[in-house]
Formats: sequence, C-alpha cells, structure tokens
Amino acid sequence: MSCENPTTDTDALMPRRKKYDKSRTCVKCKENVGNIVVRHAVYCRACFVPLMTFRFRRSLEPFVNAKPDGPRRTALKPLGHLTIGFSGGLGSSVLLNLIHRCYVSPDPALLNQDGGKDHPSKDPVWRKVFVCYVETCDAIPGTKDRTEEIRNLVQGLNGVEFIPLRIQDAFDISWWRKISPKNLPFIPTDASVQSPSSALQAYLGSLPTSTALATTVGMLTRVLLQYTAFQTGSSHLVLGTSLTSLAVSLISSISQGGGFHVKEEAQEEWFPYPVAFAQGQVKSVRIIRPLRDVSTKECAVWAWWARLDVIGREQWEWPGTKPGLGRLTKDFIRGLEKDYPSTVSAIVRTCAKLAPKGETSGRCMLCERPAQAGVQEWKARIAIRSWKEPAHSNTPPSVASADALAPYLCYVCHTTLTSRGTRALPSLFASISTGHTPAVPTWTSSRVTQLHSAAAAQDSFLDVETDEPVVVSRRKMGQEELRQALNGFILED
Amino acid sequence: MPPRNCALCDKARAIVKRPKTGQQICKDCFFHVFETEVHNTITEAQLFKPGDRVAIGASGGKDSTVLAYVMKALNDRYQYGLELFLLSIDEGITGYRDDSLETVKRNQQQYDMPLKILSYDELYGWTMDAIVSQVGKKNNCTFCGVFRRQALDRGAAMLNVDHIVTGHNADDIAETVLMNIMRGDIARLGRCTSICTQGEDTIKRSKPFKYAYEKEIVMYAYFKKLDYFSTECIYSPDAYRGHARVFLKDLEAARPSAIIDIIHSGEAFEIKEEVKATQKIQQTCKRCGYMSSNELCKACSLLEGLERGVPQAAITDRARKKLASEGGASENLRTIPYFQRPGALPPTAIVP
Repeated sequence: MSCENPTTDTDALMPRRKKYDKSRTCVKCKENVGNIVVRHAVYCRACFVPLMTFRFRRSLEPFVNAKPDGPRRTALKPLGHLTIGFSGGLGSSVLLNLIHRCYVSPDPALLNQDGGKDHPSKDPVWRKVFVCYVETCDAIPGTKDRTEEIRNLVQGLNGVEFIPLRIQDAFDISWWRKISPKNLPFIPTDASVQSPSSALQAYLGSLPTSTALATTVGMLTRVLLQYTAFQTGSSHLVLGTSLTSLAVSLISSISQGGGFHVKEEAQEEWFPYPVAFAQGQVKSVRIIRPLRDVSTKECAVWAWWARLDVIGREQWEWPGTKPGLGRLTKDFIRGLEKDYPSTVSAIVRTCAKLAPKGETSGRCMLCERPAQAGVQEWKARIAIRSWKEPAHSNTPPSVASADALAPYLCYVCHTTLTSRGTRALPSLFASISTGHTPAVPTWTSSRVTQLHSAAAAQDSFLDVETDEPVVVSRRKMGQEELRQALNGFILED
Repeated sequence: MPPRNCALCDKARAIVKRPKTGQQICKDCFFHVFETEVHNTITEAQLFKPGDRVAIGASGGKDSTVLAYVMKALNDRYQYGLELFLLSIDEGITGYRDDSLETVKRNQQQYDMPLKILSYDELYGWTMDAIVSQVGKKNNCTFCGVFRRQALDRGAAMLNVDHIVTGHNADDIAETVLMNIMRGDIARLGRCTSICTQGEDTIKRSKPFKYAYEKEIVMYAYFKKLDYFSTECIYSPDAYRGHARVFLKDLEAARPSAIIDIIHSGEAFEIKEEVKATQKIQQTCKRCGYMSSNELCKACSLLEGLERGVPQAAITDRARKKLASEGGASENLRTIPYFQRPGALPPTAIVP
C-alpha cells in the first residue's frame, strides 16, 4: 500500500551523521580529550570507568532485594546465591569482571571508599557466586569445545565456583534427576534409550529452519541456566546481555511472534514449580541483565582497558544453512548502531513501555515462559490450512497425537516447531536416524508425563500448572498396592 | 517431479505455493482461501453492519484494486448489505498519479461503483509537485502522508460514508510495527495493529487485508487478471520506512511466517497503563476542526509552513522556532476548509 521504493533510490536509506556532535572534549569533566564516543557524547577514560560502573550497578542493585526498592541503595540482602550465565563472549566476560570487582573481591578503583574497608557496605552481597557455562559444540557441527578454556579462566578468579554444563543435558535424565529436588516423574520417551547427545541431535535435526535451530539452542541454554540457578539456591541469575544484544533479542523475538514475551526478554521472575511457589515452598530466580544500558562498543572498550581475556563464543550457524532471523536481526541492528547509535537504545526504551496483552493460558512446556491464550485459534483463523472444520473440544488431545503439545506451547515455540522456510534444511547430523519422533527436553517430558497420567485415568482432572501429576482417580486400591505405597512407613509384624 | 495435487482439495493440480503457509494449492482453492480469510477478518472484527456506506480508498495500485474486487465479491456472496464507493486522492504527482487515476476510473466502470476524486490542490491549494519543489525530496513523505489521511476523511465526509477501508496489507502492518519500535513512536505502535481505528470525531477506518500477504495480493490480481497500476512513487521514500522494509523482506525470505509473526507480536503487547497516562489527549484543531493532539493539527502546521516559506516548520525544532520568531500567521493565510462530520453535509456529486 505504501508508495515508497527504497530499492531504486539511494536516498531511501538515512544519510550518515557525524559521529560526535560538538567537540572532542569529555562532556563530563570538560577538561580531558575524549577517548570514546558514546551515543554522540565524548568521554575520557577517567570518566568512562565510573560511568560504566554506575550504569551496571543501576541495572542490578535495585533488583537485588526480594522487593525491588527503586534506584536508591539500601542494604543489599538477596535471598540466595548468585549464578552468572557465562558464554565466553564479550558481554559475559565484562559482566563477570564487573561482578567480581564490585561484589566478590571489591576493587577500590571502582568502588567508593567511604566508611573504610570494614564498613558493612563492603561485605560480600552474595554468599556464593557460581559461574555456569553451557557448552554448545555438540549442537553445532564443526565448533570447538571451550569448556577447559573457560574453566581455567574462571578458576583464576577467587570466590567463584565453576559449573560446566553441556547443552545435551537438556535431554539427560540423570541431569534432570539431579536438578529436580522433587524428583518429578519422567516419561520414558526415546531420550531414555538414546544418549543425550543423540537425543539433542535428533531434536535439532527435526527442526524446519535455521531460525528454529538458533532459537532452540538459545532457549535450551537459557532454561538449563535457570534450572541450575534454582538448584544451586540462587536467587539471581545474571546474563551478559548488552544494550545492543538486548535490542537484537527484542527485535528477533518480535519477528518470531514473541510480542507476549517482551517483558521477559529484559527481566523475569522464574520458578520451576508454580504451585509450590504460590504456596511459598520454593523461591523464585530473578533473571537480570545488568549490562542492558551498556552498548557492545562500551563493553569492548571496557574489555580493552581492563585487559580482559575474552575467550569468545561460537556463532550459532550450521553448515549449509542460510542465516536465520536472529542472525539477520543482529546484522541489521549492528549496522544501525554503527551510524545511528540512538536507535538501539530507542528499541530497548520503547519495548520497556510495553506490557503483554490478553490472558495467559499457563506456561509454555518448552521455553517455560507465559503462553498466551487462544494462539491456536488465532493461527487457524488467520491462515486456512484445511477445509475441515477444526474440532472444538474441551478435552486436551491425546499425547500420542502429533499435535499433542500444541495447546501447551507459546506462540514462539509452536512457530519454531512448525513454520517452514522456502527450502528444506540439509541433513545436519548424518548419524541420526529420522524414523521416529524425536524426544523433547526433560522438563517438557516431565510435564508430558503428567498429561499422560491424567489422560489415562478416568474421572481425572488435568492442570498443567501443577507440580505433581494431578490425577484424582476414584478407583479402589488393592491392599497390596496400598502397602507398596506406604512402603517404609509400615513396620513389619 | 510429478505434478502434485492441491493440499486443500486433493483433486486439482497444485499451481501455487502459498507464501503464507507454504502449502501447494490449486487456483480455485487459492481464490477461496484468500477470500475466506478476508471474510474471517471482517466478521471476526465485526467491521460492518447492514446498510453501511463504505468508501474504498482507491489508488489504482494492486492493493486497492484487489480490495475493491474482493469487497464487491464478499458483499454479494455474504450479503453484507453495504453500499460501496470508490474514493481516490489526487496528490498531484505528474506521471505517477495521472496514470493510476486512469486505472481507478476503469475500476469504477468494471465494478460499477460510484467514484469521488479529491485533489490536494482542491483541498490545500498545493500539489505534491509544488511541495517537492519547495521542500525537496527529503521529508516530502511527511507532507504526503499527513495530507492524504486528512483528504481521505474529508472525501469520505463529502460522500457521507460511515467507513473507509484501505488496502493496507500484512507486509505494511509488519513494517509499521518494526518502524515504530525502531523510532520509539509509542503512540503509533499502540494502534498500528488495530484493524479498525476511530477517533472521537473521525470516520471509521479499517484494513480488511490486515492478514493478507502482499505476494498473495499480487498473485490474486494476476490470476484474476485485474487491471492495476504498478509503478512506485517517483519521489523519495520515507527513509526510516525504507530501512524497515528492506529488513522485513530479508526476514520474509528467511522464514515467510515472519510477517504474520510480527503482526501477532504487535497484537500481543500494549502500552503500559502508566505510559498511556502521559500521552497527549486528542482535541480539535482550532483552525480546521480536524482531530489533533495539539492546538493546530499536523496538516494545518505543515500548510502554514508551506504558505509562509518555512516548509520544515512542522518537522524540525529549528524551523519551528524560526517561524515563531516571525510572529503569528497573517489573517489572509490560505487554510484548509473547516471539517464537517458525515451527516452534517449533503452528499457531494460524484463522478457518474
């Protein structure tokens, strides 16, 4: 409908602007010659360091106490430990450095010295700090295993504990049993007979697009970190997402239908067992991105001046596949940021003014984020895929059917699994047979087990938001069955 | 590869791969799904009621040509009971709008609908050619967009219609969502995915092609052999929209569902209540009576700038200050006629 034609007119793209607006002198001290241009403003090195530290702390400290208390600094008393999600990339390296220098081993160069070194404000905020790394090399052929490099780096820092994970842990029953204190039931899917690595590769091999691959690896990594943070008793999980990365992830998520998750992309409060959480039996994990006000460029300058050893992380690209939405968005935003640095912060600030609209139908079984109600009906109405009338029923579909998970997925996950590209993906993992339905991650299997149990029992009631299999069965139990159920509690005659 | 049967009817040979679903389907099923989806959009949003007088914003391009055809077809098939009109705006772009208006006049004959053409020259005393000669290619889309929106409302008021439908398609809406996020236009972001917009004092305006892919509209026009004009505007495009459009096309190439996914995102969020409270309240322009968020509506501000030789006055702060320093507008400044709501005016003469 619009009349513009950017492809034929070079004026279609915005004209390049000057890198800095006024002078080369630092805008803060107004004395030194500037060393870095941050969104058209010039800063010298001496002023940049406190500026960066201030932005980092401003994005983290108001959310350390259980009840967020605004920007003022009161005593920081978190309810648990801290887990740092570490990827080896620039953002997480800077984050680790800042956390360590501000809260683990306070650096006088960064912190105010008021009150002396024994002042209570100098006490460590978190009793334990964990650094969790998820190795993705088994999901992306041809990439390097960096676990040892990262282990060496983390072990060089005092006061932090290293937790290495592998992405296939998402399909590993033994990991799930270790992580799940309530020992939730586990469905004996193919994952239990395959190795976790094969299960992961079968799952990835069944995805339709390169977008789906990258989104899935990101989602699995995030959920693994969340469960690990929970298992370690952490009240906070911090991620090294910079302003630029946040703008990329917001636009990428919106491009994949994740408008309902705009809030979660920036910050979220997550708990594995909703009912137990509501009853106060478990604590939540607050996921925070303390570098959300700091651009990639500022992170790079910080890393350079602090002489940080940035190990780097692999690109999530698969041989023979075209770039997915995430990669395209990243290239687009990076291009914009170079010439128009304000656009990146405009994206983040705009999204911070948005709230999810409509009702929630529970939590997505795959990504563990809120699922919007009515997604399947919306999709059916917008694009007709069959002349048959969709069946309307209050009973959930059988878990054996192909569409079994659909009602329990959010829009993004459903689209990730079903939306096809213009061309099929090449075979990614040659050793994996494609004859059977691939397994799903362990946390999803656990929920599926609940569905199975509920569907199998007569007069049963199903609630996907429960922590235990909610099967209110009215059948009479046999004596022996009762005895087995009470095993350990009945003393021998 | 042997010919495949249609994924929907499984009888006829598939001849198109639907951009929206990736399904291979036959021509008849394509027509049927396309029209049914538009019908679903109309009925789900309860856009019309029997007896409504509806103006179709017709530019002569593919979207509005297909819209006129489909609206007529659905009105007959499902007995909406609508009285349909064609409403065209002549921006005064030589070599671009002249030709497309000829297409609209042919559509009028083909679809047997009354047509009203309203020109910028008639309404504002300026053609786009004259505006571009003053402001240059940069920012001229601001003038065109603001003037067109108001011209459509005024044309609709002259036709005494209740409702304007426009050919905005899914690609346009997805592009607008991205653009509004990137430039931080929270007010527009909040309303750009609404299928129907209506201010307190304006005519209802809706987009029945909200979920229709641009590619499918072209496909529909091609198979139906519809007569449309397909040249892009000769003046420079809105730079920001250009960025969003190029990006969206890349996303669509990687995963065609991206367009509908972005629209879904736009529908899945809303502006936070505390932010809404800070938005400007809608009022009436003191000069022309049109809806406005300031004392003067955007069209009157732009027109005043043009008339006083400071065309950037409504666009940049510097030019606005310059205009203010020159004092208020003179009494004999050319202005836009006062806006009258439909019903307040007798229906105007239309092209027979």
